Amino acid sequence: MAERVLLDHPPDTGTAFADAFARLVRRHQSMVFSIALHFLADRSAAEELAQDVFLQLHANLPNLKSEEHVTFWLRKVTAHRCIDFKRRRTLPQVSLEEVAEPGALTSNGDPFLTRKLRQMIASLPEKPRLIMILRYQEDLGPEEIAETLSMPVGTVKSHLQRSLALLREKVSRTIGEVTL
Amino acid sequence: MTDKNLNQIEDQLKRALSRQEAPRDFADQVLARVAEQHASRTAPRNPWWRIFTQPLVRWAAITATAASLVIGGIHYRNVRIERAKGEAAKQQLMLALRIAGSKLQLARARVNEINATQTNQSRREEE
Repeated sequence: MAERVLLDHPPDTGTAFADAFARLVRRHQSMVFSIALHFLADRSAAEELAQDVFLQLHANLPNLKSEEHVTFWLRKVTAHRCIDFKRRRTLPQVSLEEVAEPGALTSNGDPFLTRKLRQMIASLPEKPRLIMILRYQEDLGPEEIAETLSMPVGTVKSHLQRSLALLREKVSRTIGEVTL
Repeated sequence: MTDKNLNQIEDQLKRALSRQEAPRDFADQVLARVAEQHASRTAPRNPWWRIFTQPLVRWAAITATAASLVIGGIHYRNVRIERAKGEAAKQQLMLALRIAGSKLQLARARVNEINATQTNQSRREEE
Protein backbone atom coordinates (compact mmCIF):
# COMPACT_ATOMS: atom_id res chain seq x y z
CA MET A 1 0.00 0.00 0.00
CA ALA A 2 1.43 3.31 -1.10
CA GLU A 3 0.42 5.12 2.06
CA ARG A 4 2.12 2.60 4.30
CA VAL A 5 5.39 3.02 2.40
CA LEU A 6 5.09 6.77 2.79
CA LEU A 7 3.95 6.87 6.36
CA ASP A 8 6.34 4.19 7.62
CA HIS A 9 9.51 5.63 6.12
CA PRO A 10 11.18 8.99 6.41
CA PRO A 11 11.32 11.03 3.18
CA ASP A 12 14.09 10.53 0.61
CA THR A 13 14.52 6.83 1.22
CA GLY A 14 14.60 5.20 -2.17
CA THR A 15 12.50 4.48 -5.22
CA ALA A 16 9.59 2.85 -3.40
CA PHE A 17 9.09 6.01 -1.40
CA ALA A 18 9.32 8.21 -4.51
CA ASP A 19 6.79 6.07 -6.39
CA ALA A 20 4.38 6.07 -3.47
CA PHE A 21 4.75 9.83 -3.10
CA ALA A 22 4.07 10.29 -6.83
CA ARG A 23 0.86 8.26 -6.48
CA LEU A 24 -0.13 10.32 -3.45
CA VAL A 25 0.42 13.55 -5.43
CA ARG A 26 -1.65 12.26 -8.37
CA ARG A 27 -4.47 11.24 -6.03
CA HIS A 28 -4.73 14.64 -4.37
CA GLN A 29 -3.48 17.06 -7.03
CA SER A 30 -6.96 17.78 -8.38
CA MET A 31 -8.26 18.73 -4.91
CA VAL A 32 -5.32 20.99 -4.01
CA PHE A 33 -5.10 22.59 -7.45
CA SER A 34 -8.85 23.26 -7.59
CA ILE A 35 -8.99 24.92 -4.16
CA ALA A 36 -6.14 27.21 -5.22
CA LEU A 37 -7.64 27.82 -8.67
CA HIS A 38 -11.09 28.70 -7.36
CA PHE A 39 -9.59 30.92 -4.69
CA LEU A 40 -6.98 32.75 -6.80
CA ALA A 41 -8.76 32.62 -10.18
CA ASP A 42 -5.28 32.44 -11.71
CA ARG A 43 -4.16 29.16 -13.26
CA SER A 44 -0.38 29.64 -13.06
CA ALA A 45 -0.53 31.04 -9.52
CA ALA A 46 -2.72 28.09 -8.50
CA GLU A 47 -0.26 25.63 -10.02
CA GLU A 48 2.68 27.24 -8.22
CA LEU A 49 0.83 27.27 -4.90
CA ALA A 50 -0.28 23.65 -5.29
CA GLN A 51 3.30 22.56 -6.00
CA ASP A 52 4.46 24.38 -2.86
CA VAL A 53 1.80 22.57 -0.83
CA PHE A 54 3.04 19.17 -2.05
CA LEU A 55 6.66 20.12 -1.33
CA GLN A 56 5.59 20.96 2.21
CA LEU A 57 3.70 17.67 2.37
CA HIS A 58 6.86 15.80 1.36
CA ALA A 59 8.74 17.37 4.25
CA ASN A 60 5.90 16.72 6.71
CA LEU A 61 5.03 13.13 5.81
CA PRO A 62 6.63 11.66 8.95
CA ASN A 63 4.14 13.67 11.05
CA LEU A 64 1.04 12.41 9.20
CA LYS A 65 -0.63 9.32 10.56
CA SER A 66 -3.17 8.19 7.95
CA GLU A 67 -4.65 8.89 4.53
CA GLU A 68 -7.49 10.86 6.17
CA HIS A 69 -4.93 12.90 8.06
CA VAL A 70 -3.11 13.61 4.77
CA THR A 71 -6.36 14.83 3.15
CA PHE A 72 -7.24 17.02 6.14
CA TRP A 73 -3.68 18.38 6.27
CA LEU A 74 -3.67 19.18 2.53
CA ARG A 75 -6.96 21.09 2.73
CA LYS A 76 -5.81 23.02 5.78
CA VAL A 77 -2.38 23.94 4.38
CA THR A 78 -3.81 24.83 0.97
CA ALA A 79 -6.40 27.11 2.58
CA HIS A 80 -3.81 28.90 4.69
CA ARG A 81 -1.38 29.17 1.81
CA CYS A 82 -4.09 30.66 -0.39
CA ILE A 83 -4.65 33.46 2.13
CA ASP A 84 -0.91 34.00 2.61
CA PHE A 85 -0.33 34.00 -1.14
CA LYS A 86 -3.06 36.56 -1.73
CA ARG A 87 -1.76 38.85 1.01
CA ARG A 88 1.88 38.53 -0.07
CA ARG A 89 1.23 39.09 -3.73
CA THR A 90 -1.43 41.74 -3.10
CA LEU A 91 -3.15 40.77 -6.30
CA PRO A 92 -5.24 43.66 -7.61
CA GLN A 93 -8.81 43.76 -6.33
CA VAL A 94 -11.07 42.40 -9.03
CA SER A 95 -14.53 43.39 -10.05
CA LEU A 96 -17.10 40.88 -11.17
CA GLU A 97 -16.55 41.63 -14.85
CA GLU A 98 -12.76 41.52 -14.62
CA VAL A 99 -12.42 38.13 -12.98
CA ALA A 100 -10.63 35.77 -15.33
CA GLU A 101 -12.22 32.49 -16.17
CA PRO A 102 -10.31 29.91 -14.08
CA GLY A 103 -8.79 28.00 -16.93
CA ALA A 104 -10.67 25.92 -19.41
CA LEU A 105 -13.18 24.65 -16.90
CA THR A 106 -15.83 22.21 -17.84
CA SER A 107 -19.15 21.87 -16.14
CA ASN A 108 -22.68 20.87 -16.83
CA GLY A 109 -25.65 23.21 -16.59
CA ASP A 110 -25.90 26.80 -17.70
CA PRO A 111 -22.37 27.85 -18.72
CA PHE A 112 -23.21 31.54 -18.43
CA LEU A 113 -24.50 31.14 -14.89
CA THR A 114 -21.54 28.93 -13.98
CA ARG A 115 -19.12 31.58 -15.24
CA LYS A 116 -20.95 34.35 -13.39
CA LEU A 117 -20.96 32.33 -10.17
CA ARG A 118 -17.21 31.74 -10.39
CA GLN A 119 -16.67 35.44 -10.91
CA MET A 120 -18.87 36.25 -7.94
CA ILE A 121 -17.11 33.76 -5.69
CA ALA A 122 -13.74 35.18 -6.73
CA SER A 123 -14.95 38.61 -5.63
CA LEU A 124 -15.94 37.46 -2.12
CA PRO A 125 -13.65 38.33 0.83
CA GLU A 126 -10.92 35.74 1.61
CA LYS A 127 -12.52 33.76 4.46
CA PRO A 128 -16.06 33.51 3.00
CA ARG A 129 -14.54 32.55 -0.36
CA LEU A 130 -12.57 29.71 1.22
CA ILE A 131 -15.63 28.56 3.15
CA MET A 132 -17.70 28.46 -0.05
CA ILE A 133 -14.97 26.54 -1.88
CA LEU A 134 -14.63 23.96 0.90
CA ARG A 135 -18.43 23.65 1.15
CA TYR A 136 -19.23 23.26 -2.56
CA GLN A 137 -16.01 21.91 -4.04
CA GLU A 138 -15.08 19.53 -1.23
CA ASP A 139 -18.63 18.97 0.02
CA LEU A 140 -17.56 19.54 3.63
CA GLY A 141 -20.02 20.27 6.40
CA PRO A 142 -19.76 23.39 8.57
CA GLU A 143 -18.04 21.42 11.37
CA GLU A 144 -15.36 20.07 9.04
CA ILE A 145 -14.81 23.51 7.50
CA ALA A 146 -14.52 25.02 10.99
CA GLU A 147 -11.91 22.43 11.92
CA THR A 148 -9.98 22.95 8.68
CA LEU A 149 -9.90 26.73 8.98
CA SER A 150 -9.59 26.76 12.80
CA MET A 151 -12.64 28.94 13.34
CA PRO A 152 -15.92 28.60 15.29
CA VAL A 153 -18.71 26.60 13.64
CA GLY A 154 -21.12 29.50 14.17
CA THR A 155 -18.86 31.82 12.18
CA VAL A 156 -18.70 29.30 9.33
CA LYS A 157 -22.49 28.94 9.27
CA SER A 158 -23.08 32.68 9.27
CA HIS A 159 -20.50 33.18 6.49
CA LEU A 160 -22.23 30.47 4.45
CA GLN A 161 -25.67 32.02 4.91
CA ARG A 162 -24.48 35.55 4.13
CA SER A 163 -22.48 34.44 1.10
CA LEU A 164 -25.40 32.44 -0.29
CA ALA A 165 -27.76 35.36 0.18
CA LEU A 166 -25.26 37.72 -1.43
CA LEU A 167 -24.68 35.42 -4.39
CA ARG A 168 -28.39 34.90 -4.91
CA GLU A 169 -28.95 38.65 -4.89
CA LYS A 170 -26.08 39.25 -7.32
CA VAL A 171 -27.25 36.50 -9.63
CA SER A 172 -30.77 37.91 -9.56
CA ARG A 173 -29.45 41.36 -10.37
CA THR A 174 -27.20 40.10 -13.16
CA ILE A 175 -29.36 37.61 -14.97
CA GLY A 176 -32.77 38.06 -13.42
CA GLU A 177 -35.04 35.76 -11.50
CA VAL A 178 -35.71 33.65 -14.56
CA THR A 179 -32.75 31.37 -14.02
CA LEU A 180 -33.24 30.71 -10.30
CA MET B 1 -35.25 32.52 -0.41
CA THR B 2 -37.44 29.49 -1.15
CA ASP B 3 -36.13 25.95 -0.67
CA LYS B 4 -36.34 25.39 -4.41
CA ASN B 5 -34.29 28.49 -5.17
CA LEU B 6 -31.76 27.57 -2.48
CA ASN B 7 -31.36 24.07 -3.89
CA GLN B 8 -30.97 25.46 -7.39
CA ILE B 9 -28.25 27.90 -6.43
CA GLU B 10 -26.48 25.23 -4.35
CA ASP B 11 -26.54 22.88 -7.34
CA GLN B 12 -25.16 25.62 -9.54
CA LEU B 13 -22.43 26.35 -6.98
CA LYS B 14 -21.45 22.69 -6.87
CA ARG B 15 -21.12 22.73 -10.67
CA ALA B 16 -19.23 26.01 -10.71
CA LEU B 17 -16.85 24.84 -7.99
CA SER B 18 -16.38 21.29 -9.20
CA ARG B 19 -12.85 19.91 -8.99
CA GLN B 20 -10.66 20.69 -11.98
CA GLU B 21 -7.90 18.55 -13.41
CA ALA B 22 -4.39 19.72 -12.56
CA PRO B 23 -1.98 20.22 -15.49
CA ARG B 24 -0.90 16.91 -17.01
CA ASP B 25 2.73 17.16 -15.86
CA PHE B 26 1.87 18.48 -12.41
CA ALA B 27 3.07 15.44 -10.44
CA ASP B 28 6.29 15.26 -12.47
CA GLN B 29 7.00 18.90 -11.72
CA VAL B 30 6.42 18.34 -8.01
CA LEU B 31 8.75 15.32 -8.03
CA ALA B 32 11.39 17.31 -9.93
CA ARG B 33 11.24 20.07 -7.33
CA VAL B 34 11.47 17.51 -4.51
CA ALA B 35 14.54 15.97 -6.17
CA GLU B 36 16.04 19.41 -6.69
CA GLN B 37 15.52 20.28 -3.03
CA HIS B 38 16.94 16.95 -1.94
CA ALA B 39 20.01 17.41 -4.16
CA SER B 40 20.69 20.90 -2.86
CA ARG B 41 20.32 19.66 0.73
CA THR B 42 22.65 16.70 0.32
CA ALA B 43 25.24 18.31 -1.99
CA PRO B 44 28.63 18.38 -0.22
CA ARG B 45 29.50 21.89 0.76
CA ASN B 46 33.05 23.11 0.18
CA PRO B 47 34.58 24.03 3.51
CA TRP B 48 36.54 27.30 3.47
CA TRP B 49 39.88 25.60 3.97
CA ARG B 50 39.42 23.63 0.73
CA ILE B 51 40.66 26.75 -1.07
CA PHE B 52 44.19 25.83 0.03
CA THR B 53 44.10 22.69 -2.10
CA GLN B 54 44.77 24.93 -5.10
CA PRO B 55 48.57 25.13 -5.61
CA LEU B 56 48.66 28.82 -6.41
CA VAL B 57 46.69 29.77 -3.32
CA ARG B 58 48.75 27.38 -1.18
CA TRP B 59 52.08 28.86 -2.30
CA ALA B 60 50.77 32.40 -1.96
CA ALA B 61 49.71 31.64 1.61
CA ILE B 62 53.09 30.06 2.47
CA THR B 63 54.96 33.04 0.98
CA ALA B 64 52.79 35.55 2.80
CA THR B 65 53.27 33.72 6.12
CA ALA B 66 57.05 33.50 5.66
CA ALA B 67 57.31 37.18 4.70
CA SER B 68 55.25 38.16 7.75
CA LEU B 69 57.53 36.13 10.05
CA VAL B 70 60.74 37.65 8.59
CA ILE B 71 59.43 41.22 8.70
CA GLY B 72 58.14 40.70 12.22
CA GLY B 73 61.48 39.28 13.38
CA ILE B 74 63.48 42.16 11.90
CA HIS B 75 61.16 44.70 13.46
CA TYR B 76 61.44 43.03 16.87
CA ARG B 77 65.25 43.00 16.63
CA ASN B 78 65.33 46.71 15.73
CA VAL B 79 63.08 47.57 18.63
CA ARG B 80 65.37 45.68 21.05
CA ILE B 81 68.53 47.42 19.71
CA GLU B 82 66.90 50.85 20.04
CA ARG B 83 65.80 50.05 23.57
CA ALA B 84 69.35 48.91 24.55
CA LYS B 85 70.85 52.08 23.10
CA GLY B 86 68.42 54.18 25.10
CA GLU B 87 69.33 52.33 28.31
CA ALA B 88 73.08 52.88 27.69
CA ALA B 89 72.56 56.61 27.03
CA LYS B 90 70.56 56.88 30.25
CA GLN B 91 73.32 55.20 32.27
CA GLN B 92 75.95 57.54 30.78
CA LEU B 93 73.87 60.61 31.61
CA MET B 94 73.43 59.46 35.21
CA LEU B 95 77.18 58.92 35.55
CA ALA B 96 77.91 62.35 34.11
CA LEU B 97 75.47 63.96 36.54
CA ARG B 98 77.05 62.14 39.51
CA ILE B 99 80.56 63.30 38.49
CA ALA B 100 79.37 66.86 37.98
CA GLY B 101 77.73 66.78 41.43
CA SER B 102 80.91 65.62 43.21
CA LYS B 103 83.02 68.25 41.37
CA LEU B 104 80.64 70.98 42.56
CA GLN B 105 80.91 69.77 46.15
CA LEU B 106 84.73 69.92 45.94
CA ALA B 107 84.62 73.44 44.53
CA ARG B 108 82.28 74.63 47.29
CA ALA B 109 84.49 73.11 49.99
CA ARG B 110 87.53 74.87 48.46
CA VAL B 111 85.70 78.21 48.39
CA ASN B 112 84.66 77.81 52.01
CA GLU B 113 88.22 77.02 52.99
CA ILE B 114 89.59 80.13 51.24
CA ASN B 115 86.94 82.29 52.89
CA ALA B 116 87.83 80.95 56.33
CA THR B 117 91.58 81.64 55.81
CA GLN B 118 90.94 85.22 54.70
CA THR B 119 88.71 85.92 57.66
CA ASN B 120 91.35 84.69 60.12
CA GLN B 121 94.02 86.86 58.51
CA SER B 122 91.99 90.04 58.68
CA ARG B 123 91.19 89.45 62.41
CA ARG B 124 94.86 89.07 63.21
CA GLU B 125 95.72 92.28 61.45
CA GLU B 126 93.12 94.19 63.40
CA GLU B 127 94.51 92.89 66.69
